[in-house]
Amino acid sequence: MPGAEIVLDPSNVLRLLAGLGVTVRIGLVSVALSLPLGIACGMLMTLRNPLIRAVLRAYLEFIRIMPQLVLLYLVFFGTAGAWGWDLSGEAASVVVFSLWGAAELGDLVRGALESIPRTQYDSAYVLGMGRRQAFARVILPQAVTRLLPPAVNLATRMVKTTSLCMLIGVVELIRVGQQIIDYNRFAVPTGALWIYGSIFFLYFIVCWPLSILSRRLERRWAR
Amino acid sequence: MSDATGEAPMLEVRGLTKRFGDEVVLDGLDLAVRKGEVVVVLGPSGCGKSTLLRCIAGLEGVDAGEVRLEGEPISGTRRDSALRQRLGMVFQSYDLFPTRTVLANVTLAPVVVQHRDRLEAEREAEALLRRVGLWDKRDSYPSTLSGGQRQRVAICRALAMHPDVMLLDEVTAALDPEMVHEVLDVVLELAEGGLTMVIVTHEMRFAAAIADRVVMLDGGEVVEESDDPAAFFERPETGRAREFLSMFEYKREKGKGTDHED
Amino acid sequence: MKTDNENKGKLTTRGKTVLASVLAVLALASVLALAGCGSAADAVKGAAGDAASTEAGQSQARTLEQIKQSGTINIGVFTDKAPFGYVDGNGTYQGYDVVFANRLAQDLGVKASFVATDAANRVPYLESNKVDVILANFTVTDERAQKVDFAEPYMKVSLGVVSPTSKSITSVEALAGKTLIVTKGTTAETYFEKNHPDVTLQKYDQYADAYNALLDGRGDAFSTDNTEVLAWAKSNPGYTVGITSLGDADTIAPAVHKGNDTVRDYINQEINSLASESFFHADYAQTLEPVYGDDVNVDDIVVEGGKVS
Repeated sequence: MPGAEIVLDPSNVLRLLAGLGVTVRIGLVSVALSLPLGIACGMLMTLRNPLIRAVLRAYLEFIRIMPQLVLLYLVFFGTAGAWGWDLSGEAASVVVFSLWGAAELGDLVRGALESIPRTQYDSAYVLGMGRRQAFARVILPQAVTRLLPPAVNLATRMVKTTSLCMLIGVVELIRVGQQIIDYNRFAVPTGALWIYGSIFFLYFIVCWPLSILSRRLERRWAR
Repeated sequence: MSDATGEAPMLEVRGLTKRFGDEVVLDGLDLAVRKGEVVVVLGPSGCGKSTLLRCIAGLEGVDAGEVRLEGEPISGTRRDSALRQRLGMVFQSYDLFPTRTVLANVTLAPVVVQHRDRLEAEREAEALLRRVGLWDKRDSYPSTLSGGQRQRVAICRALAMHPDVMLLDEVTAALDPEMVHEVLDVVLELAEGGLTMVIVTHEMRFAAAIADRVVMLDGGEVVEESDDPAAFFERPETGRAREFLSMFEYKREKGKGTDHED
Repeated sequence: MKTDNENKGKLTTRGKTVLASVLAVLALASVLALAGCGSAADAVKGAAGDAASTEAGQSQARTLEQIKQSGTINIGVFTDKAPFGYVDGNGTYQGYDVVFANRLAQDLGVKASFVATDAANRVPYLESNKVDVILANFTVTDERAQKVDFAEPYMKVSLGVVSPTSKSITSVEALAGKTLIVTKGTTAETYFEKNHPDVTLQKYDQYADAYNALLDGRGDAFSTDNTEVLAWAKSNPGYTVGITSLGDADTIAPAVHKGNDTVRDYINQEINSLASESFFHADYAQTLEPVYGDDVNVDDIVVEGGKVS
């Protein structure tokens, strides 16, 4: 098939890998920040305090309703216009994806915690466990097993959605691909297919292990 | 027995009143359980039997009255761990910990709550499991067990804490009929071993066989109490007890398991 | 044991409450901040391009002096729109706009720092002062001029008409009674509907469909921006751009933050002085000619000294 030379060119390969590096970096940092924030949010969402509930509900709905692109624009351009913050595109991306991840993961954590039957708490109580012991030894392991598959799924969605970051100037995998395609528009007109094929493959390499992990955990903890 | 000597009963409930909203579930209820005694609590749906057990276990607070364990007042849900350990409870829905093996279900509380040596706790757990015929299932997960097997594990889990009193809340109500026996056999054996128990059940024959005393509740209060279970079942003294038992006779074959929500 | 356990219970409750309040405050603050962020909303609206101009951000654009002091000028360029702004095989920024951007920085004595922009975010980039200048094939329009300040133009775009070389159409008159392919929503569509109703239009949603229609002979010619058809004809032998400049030319100019006069004046001055060396003709020869071919009248595209002929 013609056009393969575009992905055999070492400099193109290196640039694509550098783009992948940016993609993965934004994805990983965001996922890492989402974890503690999301767990805290989720635990708070299970509290009965109506104010906390309302605030977190508003936060979750706000993040859900807003397209990620709008959030990126808000954080990248908005903070600069309003307060003169000069966030880099990557920093703004990490902020947006962490807020998004925290909200979504928070809801997953809440759901997982609330899905644990009341009687599990009762069982732990009559066995003499303290609240902390009951949470750590009985509730958390069950919540985590329910939580992991959707959380891994969320992580892969976050990695994939980092492609939007190119719209605030971040030169990540897809943007690099477009640059290479555009530069070779006339020299290698059929190169686009190859480049997008490579991009697909690179995303696949990053997300596939997560998918496998998710499916495996799901099977292991299906009981 | 020990009452005569002036010693406090193992478990005592005095004037226990519990309301859910406007509804009075327990209305100034009195009950005393001597050490080694097996008390079976009977009564129609919604009579407050399960609530009584939950109040004794500290899972529900009380609105008036008190619960005493060997004379010590223990009412309320904020009781400390040491007290809770003295009361074992087995639920209708088993409620094993699904992420742990059978053995780990039994050893968890002895190790993390009582800080007992893990090996010693495991040895005891294995002995308990052997007693209920589930030693070979020690490494299985609860989801792979039948209901009857799970309930026997739940009993072992409670026993491993060496409770002074066992509270059994309709432990066979969720079981298929063929599994009821394997569980009740275990409970009978515990009674023979001298364990103090308060049992809520709908298995009338089992109740007659195991009870030292039968207490019938209705409308949140004790309507009849008898130290002679055989006599109670054959010639109940009160009209309400008669009515209840006759209703039960009539519904015996299919009535089991209809009394979940009280 | 007893007190120990009670304390544990209390600690957990207290810990939870503290954590709860901290997070509640954080969440509330961020929601309020985002909701109350008027200029952020403007930035988004501006990007969507469907809102009237409103007050841009409070933050000040960098003056020429501040740029000089910092040693770097931030210039927004396209990175995947050859031949105007793109990245070559070595990862270096290239293109007609980039050549000018480099010269601008060089003459100012600072380093050019390129920021990858897209058509949709060029205005927000300026409004939020994320860049000092946009040099990204930015067509001057009245709507945009309300939000940003344009310097003098350095290029212009008008309509071009491409047709098969064998039946080349070289004048608008020759189009009378013929079928002309256009893409919906483009300047070409409005121009021909308004000025040449005698030309039959065949409309397509996508550029690719329009080109295919021309290749299949479903129409006699195709019209859109001259830069676009010129580049296309160059890579499709057998087709010629018979009309390279038609209709009112749109001008393309550098843009700065609204009211950033020092920088705009400097750029204007630069454009004027570069005329003496025919800088943009040289720029054209270097970046655009390889794409458009040498039979194009350079002055149909290049604007020198800010003077549109």
